[in-house]
Amino acid sequence: MLAGPSLGQGREETRSKPGTLLSAAAEQTTRYEGSGGPLLQLIDVSKYFGKTPALSDVNLTVNRGETVAIVGPSGSGKTTLLRCINFLVPYDSGRILVNGRLVGYREQQGNTVRDTGHNVNEIRKRIGMVFQQFNLFPHRTVLGNLIEGPLYVLRITRSEAVTRAQAALELIGLMDKVEAYPDQLSGGQQQRVAIARALCMEPELMLFDEVTSALDPELVGEVLSVMRQLARKGMTMVVVTHEMEFARDVADRVVFMEASKIVTDQPASDFFERPSTPRIGAFLSRLSLPRNSD
Amino acid sequence: MIQFAKDYIPLYFAGTLVALGVAALSMALSVGIGLLGALGRMSGNRTARSVTSAYVAFFRGIPPLVLLYVVYFGLPSWAQELGVRPLADFLAPLNNRIMSAVVAFGVNSGAYSTEIIRSAIASIHPEQMEAAQSLGMSYWLAMRRIIVPQSARVAFPPLGNEFIAVLKGTSLASVIGVTELMRDAQLVAAATFRNLAAYTLAAVFYVVLVIILQSVVGRLERRLSLVHK
Ligand SMILES: Nc1ncnc2c1ncn2[C@@H]1O[C@H](COP(=O)(O)OP(=O)(O)OP(=O)(O)O)[C@@H](O)[C@H]1O
Ligand SMILES: [Mg+2]
Repeated sequence: MLAGPSLGQGREETRSKPGTLLSAAAEQTTRYEGSGGPLLQLIDVSKYFGKTPALSDVNLTVNRGETVAIVGPSGSGKTTLLRCINFLVPYDSGRILVNGRLVGYREQQGNTVRDTGHNVNEIRKRIGMVFQQFNLFPHRTVLGNLIEGPLYVLRITRSEAVTRAQAALELIGLMDKVEAYPDQLSGGQQQRVAIARALCMEPELMLFDEVTSALDPELVGEVLSVMRQLARKGMTMVVVTHEMEFARDVADRVVFMEASKIVTDQPASDFFERPSTPRIGAFLSRLSLPRNSD
Repeated sequence: MIQFAKDYIPLYFAGTLVALGVAALSMALSVGIGLLGALGRMSGNRTARSVTSAYVAFFRGIPPLVLLYVVYFGLPSWAQELGVRPLADFLAPLNNRIMSAVVAFGVNSGAYSTEIIRSAIASIHPEQMEAAQSLGMSYWLAMRRIIVPQSARVAFPPLGNEFIAVLKGTSLASVIGVTELMRDAQLVAAATFRNLAAYTLAAVFYVVLVIILQSVVGRLERRLSLVHK
């Protein structure tokens, strides 16, 4: 699904309220900053659905504090890549390391076997995921959504969880919606809450899967602006997106996928200024990236 | 007729309370079985799946009256004859008519509750499970905190209807001598020879009771709704 027409929407809005979210949660800044070195590594990762390859020998390294955008045509394996990272989809071969720790498998007497559910959950706790369809818990208020994981997975106290939730709500600018239910919020607000829900787990890595694709064009900007804040604060992020302007402005690197493979992996500026293959040129022109206006 | 009603309304009220009590206990058993049954039906474990499917197929096929006879007249005396002490002790409570009625109706209705709860759980988008798991929740924690509470709201209206069906079904317990509403009507009919009046009055009690229950269910349904707009 290409979000061509919505491209670049909300940019004005983003700029017209400079830094409000940033200043609101400025004291959190250090929390997201790591010590450098690769946080995420994919080594020769492959995944088949039946006979269909979804990932073929994918290699990717993401350093702490980096924002990597993943772009590419529909069906190229972007979602599968993200879902393998937190093992929502078990990969067939290769290795995925988060913080040096193998995801989903372990060595046992020289064999690689499926890791325990407990260990997989230990890794998932530290990886935040945001979905295209928000997937908020409809039976819980905004606050209920935010404290669910901290209370029942991290098992911190209720007051700590509520403090975290308030900080996250401040960051996304929805302090007045604590008691609202998800279906009382706009799509953009729901998606911001979904980001906040992930942040409340204090993850070291955030995965975003086309988080603005289900939104009305006028709501895209508010969500991208929250993601910008996170990137600026040093959160490590892997962002599958069709928002090329966001990729160009926020991502450190852009990874282009096609037919289950990573075709290129370059600094964002290079990707847009000097497309390294004609296919990328074609892909970009289909998305009709507006020329840099400044 | 008016005088007749005046004379027997207190007795019918008592019978109504017994019917409600039997229905409530049966329904509690039914929902408990239904929850386990639904999890079994959806489980990855093959044995759990076949056992629960067999349960549903079997008990949906048995008329409740037949089951009631088996439970009340059959099981305790069978255990007695068999002479296995622990089994006889275990089944002894079934000599109590109300207990037998609750077990028979609960186990029968449990087959329906299993299907109601199973389809309620299945109606929750799988993305809810994924969202929960992406927070690091285990399957069971996600079930307990996220999936089942949402399913409960979906299952509530059909379970409410099931409760009403169970309530009407409690009239069958009259055949084993539970003095619920129907049994009271039979006693009155026998004593007064006014069959039409005795059974019509019982019918009126059932109708009013069901109408009240339906409105309570409707009200709770709106309160539990997942839609907050
Ligand atoms: N659960 C699944 N079962 C079978 N095939 C699947 C499944 N999920 C993905 N695939 C296949 O794997 C390939 C990669 O799909 P994936 O969803 O990762 O692509 P994508 O890049 O995210 O596409 P889009 O931009 O449309 O979201 C496709 O061929 C898809 O049909
Ligand atoms: Mg996708």
